[in-house]
Amino acid sequence: MADQPRDESLAPGGARDAPDAEAPAREPQAERRRDPAGTSDNARSPEPAQPRPRDEPMRPGQKFRAQDGDRTGRRDEDRRSGGHFRQAIREELASDRTAVRGRDANGDGVISEVIRLENVYLSFDRPILEDVSFSAHEGETIVVVGESGTGKSTTLKLILRLLVPDQGRVFIDGKDITGLSFNDALKERQKMGMVFQGAALFDSMSVFENIAYPLREHTEMTEEEIEARVREKLQFVDLDPDQVMPQLPSELSGGMKKRVGIARGMANNPEIMLYDEPTSGLDPLTTGTISRLIKKLQGELGVTSIVVSHDIRSSFFMASNIALLANRKICFFGTPEEMAASDDPYIRDFLGGL
Amino acid sequence: MRPSSHSLPHLPAFLERINTAAKKRVHTIQDYFTLAWNALRFIFARPFYAGDLVQQMDAIGVQSLGLVILTGFFTGAVLALQASVQLRTFGATIYIGRLVAGSVILELGPVLAGLMVAARVGSGIAAQLGSMKVTEQIDALNTLGTDPIKKLVTPRVLATLIMLPILTIINDAVGIFGGNVVAAVLLDVVPTPLYWRTVWEQIAAGGFSLRVIPNDFIQGLIKPLVFGGIISITACYFGLGTTGGTEGVGTSTTRTVVTASILILIVDYFLTQILLSVLGQ
Repeated sequence: MADQPRDESLAPGGARDAPDAEAPAREPQAERRRDPAGTSDNARSPEPAQPRPRDEPMRPGQKFRAQDGDRTGRRDEDRRSGGHFRQAIREELASDRTAVRGRDANGDGVISEVIRLENVYLSFDRPILEDVSFSAHEGETIVVVGESGTGKSTTLKLILRLLVPDQGRVFIDGKDITGLSFNDALKERQKMGMVFQGAALFDSMSVFENIAYPLREHTEMTEEEIEARVREKLQFVDLDPDQVMPQLPSELSGGMKKRVGIARGMANNPEIMLYDEPTSGLDPLTTGTISRLIKKLQGELGVTSIVVSHDIRSSFFMASNIALLANRKICFFGTPEEMAASDDPYIRDFLGGL
Repeated sequence: MRPSSHSLPHLPAFLERINTAAKKRVHTIQDYFTLAWNALRFIFARPFYAGDLVQQMDAIGVQSLGLVILTGFFTGAVLALQASVQLRTFGATIYIGRLVAGSVILELGPVLAGLMVAARVGSGIAAQLGSMKVTEQIDALNTLGTDPIKKLVTPRVLATLIMLPILTIINDAVGIFGGNVVAAVLLDVVPTPLYWRTVWEQIAAGGFSLRVIPNDFIQGLIKPLVFGGIISITACYFGLGTTGGTEGVGTSTTRTVVTASILILIVDYFLTQILLSVLGQ
């Protein structure tokens, strides 16, 4: 074992990690490169049969060309058919999805409708939404997906009553909030927590002050109670309270900001949580962390969530229902299983494209 | 957000454009005055953000002090300098004090302090609120159940209304003192006690209201009050209306300083007209 190179990633024909399914296709190539006196079943050899690619720095003007043996991170089959991505979707659907079904969160024996949009029309200089309707029940997570600029964030603002629809109505807990005055709408928003795209933390306040803000505004909690609640929420989002609480938002990384944003959104234990692209711009590891966090909120606290997302994989992971916004309408509303099984060409494009 | 849905008769294309542009102007002015009205009436509405008010008073008043002292001193000094030349023709150099005091208290003090503060405070407020707007912090405030006008605009407007008259008084005092330094010490055209006596004569010459309040002081303090309102509301208006990311913040800041400065100069004229007629001059 001692004579094998430490870093196998540079070995040409790197056939390490080749799963069995791919091995038959790979073998012939690997054979050719193997040192005649080659070692075990893996195509590792202490001396490469060919000069290593990229040994010399590229000359100015030389074009990059991927050669055999370069690890480009994708296999040929995947590039053609999007199979790698479909594999991911299949894995998500096969996992335990009981947690994403609606559930009776407030214990009144009924899974009631928490949010409902009814025939909503909205336009600014141009029409944004036309005849949009959907509803969310207790404990469900609705993920709104669609191309950029199709009005996904606008939908969240309609639910929050930051915008008023031109036509149609919005119901929260059965109450029509469309016609409410500014102050009444302000009160309705106490039931909701919102996580903005950039977290929108108040940059003149520390993390502690940020999370404590809704508590100070709306509750009569004492300072000790507030501190206890802030610690609890920070622990829920997997941050170290003592380290993070005195820091300013500008000192945090993107993932930490998002998590603090989530902590602030849930500070008041709202029954509805709204997320505007919670995982955009984050690295894959942090994306996974945030997705699991959202699912944890739903699973442990039975919060109803509306998530606007670009990330199809995590959408499938956490959604009870997916709403696809296109052409100013909802062109699909259903479970992720139904979406994956759909025949519609646009949907297949949407899921297959990367 | 609700476009009007009644059908109007169609106008020819160029009239349509003028119509739209005119409506936009009117809406802008309407929004401006709505913001002003709300900002002022929320001074008396709960919840009171006293902490924010004090913080703004520090940022706007205390931190503009150095600027105002410098401006005031050199304004008064250069006035005395020029006055000594001009008054020499009439042999009236002993009256430098009257000229400096009159100009500074009535016009140069309020207007120049207003312009300096418009530049410093106006740009600061616009940039601060503009940055909050583009990073969705204003939306976040709304979401967390806080009225951004009550929390952000009213403390800033009230702080400016309180602080600018105080800053102007300091400006005036330092200005007249600067005139003293030039006239009595540097140029030695008038002895110091005589200088201050002529200053007092000038103030008294404007007449008194309510027996003890000099009219000049009334003019010189109502002006900063009005200017303070103009500066803060313009800054908040442009700041909260910022669109377009960081570039938009720069645009808002520039427009604030320019608009506030121009408004100060224009309103100064009309205000002076009104005050002069009210005070019976």
